Amino acid sequence: MTTWKTAAVAGLTLLLAGSGLAQSRSAATPPEMVATYDALADAILGGIKAERKLVLAILATTYGHAQAEAGRARAALKAGDAAAAKTAIENLATAVGQIATEGDNAVAGVRKRLLEGGHHANSEGEAQGTFDEGFVIVNKVAKKAFLESSQALAMSAKAPKAETLDAEWKKVEAAWTQHIAGAK
Amino acid sequence: MEESRGCLDPAHRRRQVALALLLAVVGGGGCRARPPIVCYPPLLPPAQPSPQGFHFVDVAAERGLTRAILSGRPDKDHVLDSAGAGIAFLDYDSDGRLDVYVVNGWRLDGARVTERGRNALYHQRADHTFEDVTDAAGVGGEGEWGAGVTAADFDNDGATDILVTNFGRNVLYRNLGHGRFENVAARAGVEAPGWNAAASFFDADGDGWLDLYLARYIDCTLDDVLKAERTLPWRGLEKVAFGPFGLKGAPDYFFRNDHGRFVEATNEAGMKDLALGFGFAVRAADFDDDGDTDVYVANDSDPNYLYRNDGGGRFTEVGVMSLCALDGNGAAQASMGIATGDADGDGITDLYVSNFSEDNKTLYKGLGGGFFSDVSRETGVGPLVYRALSWGAALADFDNDADLDLVIANGHIYPQIDRHPEIIGTYRQQASLLENRGAGALGPGETLFRDATGSAGPGFAAPRSHRGLAVGDFDDDGRLDILMSVLDGPPVLLQNRSAAGSWLTVVPAIPGGPAVPVGTRVTVKAAGKVQRRDVAAGDSYASTHDPRLHFGLGSAETVDEVVVDWPDRTRTVRTDVAARQRLVVRKAPQ
Repeated sequence: MTTWKTAAVAGLTLLLAGSGLAQSRSAATPPEMVATYDALADAILGGIKAERKLVLAILATTYGHAQAEAGRARAALKAGDAAAAKTAIENLATAVGQIATEGDNAVAGVRKRLLEGGHHANSEGEAQGTFDEGFVIVNKVAKKAFLESSQALAMSAKAPKAETLDAEWKKVEAAWTQHIAGAK
Repeated sequence: MEESRGCLDPAHRRRQVALALLLAVVGGGGCRARPPIVCYPPLLPPAQPSPQGFHFVDVAAERGLTRAILSGRPDKDHVLDSAGAGIAFLDYDSDGRLDVYVVNGWRLDGARVTERGRNALYHQRADHTFEDVTDAAGVGGEGEWGAGVTAADFDNDGATDILVTNFGRNVLYRNLGHGRFENVAARAGVEAPGWNAAASFFDADGDGWLDLYLARYIDCTLDDVLKAERTLPWRGLEKVAFGPFGLKGAPDYFFRNDHGRFVEATNEAGMKDLALGFGFAVRAADFDDDGDTDVYVANDSDPNYLYRNDGGGRFTEVGVMSLCALDGNGAAQASMGIATGDADGDGITDLYVSNFSEDNKTLYKGLGGGFFSDVSRETGVGPLVYRALSWGAALADFDNDADLDLVIANGHIYPQIDRHPEIIGTYRQQASLLENRGAGALGPGETLFRDATGSAGPGFAAPRSHRGLAVGDFDDDGRLDILMSVLDGPPVLLQNRSAAGSWLTVVPAIPGGPAVPVGTRVTVKAAGKVQRRDVAAGDSYASTHDPRLHFGLGSAETVDEVVVDWPDRTRTVRTDVAARQRLVVRKAPQ
């Protein structure tokens, strides 16, 4: 939910509280307040779903970028263009690293803000020790797999080879399929 | 869930999340010299082994280092109260003896400032005692709340200058010569108001001028500090200082040095602090061994950064894919300090990062090319210092056996834990000394490092709340000594009286050039071992080590080769150099 919507709902609630409705003699919560709270609940719960969808979209976009860079790297290797292959593999390594961390440093900044505000997208996973703090989709096992592939790819960029690229990319695909592709 | 936020300790936070869920369920809440080598005769008799192993004695008071470091309130109501400050070895008057600079904070009483501490510059006399020359030099700190110190020659005039990073405006003391300094921070463009935790001078673009990286911690005002209350529950037993979680990170800055004036160029250089990490320490070095200088930043509670220099002073942040942003499990740690060196003797620079209590302290093995692997557990570094809260650190050879030992300044941030010492120990903690056993000499089940703290003499026995740490051979006896800052007390100077082997100290010098040739690398080959060091300005936790490069040589009395790689990528090589001397190697004119 956007901040202005939250502010509007809160403002309305305050207005109601200050109105004659709030001074009703009935012990029952005024229905207008219940309805407002119900709308607020929709917005809060919708926000959590929206966060999950957005993080999935970030991951899918990053994975798509990784696929494209893997393709560029293969093409460059086929053409014998080592410099282009190096660049593509480094970009690929960066993308795979960003899958591990559910986004780049800019996204990390947003995640940090949410944590600072007390929002834990996956507090159950955190409590179970399967998710790092603030992570929505990528669990610790997946994170480690992507991190290792990211480093392996980056290290291979200095002397790029098609077989190394293919082997490592298969690992990335497998981790994606196992941990993320089915997430909703 | 308040406990899961606002705490420096990620392990603590994880436990609190688990606790909250549980409560929800249950319903509870001598040399053969030839030009341009200059050989100094030893100022003291050669290092004589003490009868047994490591032996360090605190000689700070008797040698004259007495300035108490003020650190906010006794109860440490705000994280600034417990952050402490850095410390430096430097030679400001170029007399060949190490001097000392101590950074100071303020004393508070509740919301009232009762004393603004003064920094101190100590000049070392020929008898290895120190005299306080702060007033004469004009380097008292300008009334700011000090955080760190970086000593280097930013204006290439041949004299060492002093940058003091502050909670407030930074102070840049330009060395005028004759023991006098002037603050030129405003004119030079580096005041950067805010919480500037630590800094590193380095030449990012190879133009011969030292650029500057500022690691900055949290975005808060003095008013926030003065009004702070301890609101963070600790183990359900105490209320402790809140933060850094719940507080906004301050962006780090990068400044290009344009002939002595600095131009803020963070974004242009590719160093925009997108994640607003809580920056606490910075070390510049050529981590990928490609001839230019990279930058590593330790962030409290956030992933650390590795800025790879892509040439020309353009950087790419590659910490994640280099595997030195997170620990081996992929988790961000609450990092406080940095040490670099070749711990395992494979010729590749390794990286040590000190972290919060009840967490591994992390040793990243260099794999080459700027890539790392977390070897904390298998080397013993992680488990051996697990309980302590660690800050400044150094990889240095304290027994001159030709491998790098590890010294770590420890001290907790919550004085309140003293009421429950059985849980995680006490607020004041011993510094740690981990002895390197030598990678080629390990027995079955032995780790590379062993804890030698308990047998390292009285200097290591005393628990203190240590923060900054700098290493240097202040008494020129060939054994590295340790200088540490301590919260609410005078500094500690641990004189090294250990049994020690042979040694060589190399002093790279550029005639007509900067006083401290930052970025110079020296490789020493002796008795089949190859060791390398680099000259840095800004290291450890907000501190600066002795710029002279010390090598332990074991039993070797001759060094086969000394190779000096200068910042301009030229090289000077000397062969058959006698050990147990301070060797000045001057760069030949081009």
